[in-house]
Amino acid sequence: MMRDDRVSRLPMVFSALVALAMAVIPLPAVIDAFRPDFLVLVVFYWSIESPRVGGLGLAFVAGLALDVVRGVVLGQHALALTLMAAWATHIRLRLRVFSVLSQSLTIFALLTGYQFILFWVDGATGNPVTTFSRWLAPVVGALIWPLLAGLLSRSSDR
Amino acid sequence: MVAFRNTDASGRTSGLLLRCVLYSLLALGLIIFDKRYDHLGQIRRFLSVVAYPVQIAVASPFEGWDWFRESVSSRETLRADKAKLERELRLANFRLQRYEALEAESQRLRALRDNTAGVAAHFLIGNIMDLDLDAFRERVLVDKGARDGVFVGQAVLDSGGVFGQVARVEQLTSEVILLSDAAHAIPVQVNRNGLRTIAVGTGDMTRLKLPYLPTSADIVAGDLLVTSGLGGGFPAGYPVGTVAEVKRDPALSLADVDVRPAAALDRSRELMFVWLKPDAPAAPSATAAAPATTAAAPKAPAPPPVQASSPGGAKPK
Repeated sequence: MMRDDRVSRLPMVFSALVALAMAVIPLPAVIDAFRPDFLVLVVFYWSIESPRVGGLGLAFVAGLALDVVRGVVLGQHALALTLMAAWATHIRLRLRVFSVLSQSLTIFALLTGYQFILFWVDGATGNPVTTFSRWLAPVVGALIWPLLAGLLSRSSDR
Repeated sequence: MVAFRNTDASGRTSGLLLRCVLYSLLALGLIIFDKRYDHLGQIRRFLSVVAYPVQIAVASPFEGWDWFRESVSSRETLRADKAKLERELRLANFRLQRYEALEAESQRLRALRDNTAGVAAHFLIGNIMDLDLDAFRERVLVDKGARDGVFVGQAVLDSGGVFGQVARVEQLTSEVILLSDAAHAIPVQVNRNGLRTIAVGTGDMTRLKLPYLPTSADIVAGDLLVTSGLGGGFPAGYPVGTVAEVKRDPALSLADVDVRPAAALDRSRELMFVWLKPDAPAAPSATAAAPATTAAAPKAPAPPPVQASSPGGAKPK
């Protein structure tokens, strides 16, 4: 499973770009609240799968990209994503032998932590978003995790 | 922890923690500098230019689809559209007949009162880029930015009325905060009797609220709210919305008033940036206003666009 340094960064960069696009692709307002944080899931995947290639650098850059496209205070998503990706990297070996259900539950915890940091920074910078629906994204994210992980591992194995 | 140490023989155990702390401090520093000191304008501007291709790449298929649908739409549809537009134009011209006289009268009265607050001088048309910025904030990205002279706090209209104001300006794009954003408030007055208050957003694109009116206030469903021009951010006399419902609970001191926005917040594609006076900050110079995208009249006392109701005009139902 452990990847050597010759591994190509291409799938990682490509999947991150696609996920960034998915984060801003226009959706009807009704399902917009259910949109999972695709880029966050992709960053988690690479943090677990090959932290040497992906890891925190990817998390930080992806977070900055989210800050810029979302137009929020610079560093907010970067902070949340860095911390949670570090956690994911830390528990990755246990995570790999988990059943699908426990994996999804762990991802749910990670996503909730991510949302909480965003929530906290929102409040600290003076524009709190208190709608309940922001906590929907972690649920949906955890639900699609097995699908996404399968897809990504297939694409990176080739 | 043990498993982690065993497998990472390359001394990465402390590396992870170290890098985590490093990156987190960097991110925290960014947040603080961005929030407190506003020193990061240049960095943000650079990053936004880097992100622009991604935004274009996401938005263009949808715009392409719109273009495709328009170009293959049937002759019948086009004819129907044309008939509808002609009808609307006739109606607008009809309303316009009285407009010149009303405008002159309004100017005279304003001069008498020594009040020139908020007469719109320049317009610039911008297109909303087809992107979802944040599901929980009512904001849109528009394809006009610092290059076109757009500035933070600038009033933005659509064909129905006030749309919002500019929250952030990048080189090529700007972010407009909608009237309905929960963090947005706009000074308004009731067109019927001049009652002044503040309309705040609710986070719902179809609804605004007037939270600061006493239960005894003279306001009824159907009242038209227009901008009051107080505060100087918005031009005076543009429609903001109509009162949809007034709930008066005798036990409370404040009335609960729902307002339906006049602008098509959820449907508009084209927006108008407004410069209040020719000498307003960063008004477009002759060169900046020159591009073909400037569909507005650049002459100084340009009349505001024909609205369903001109200031002091009849109230539409």
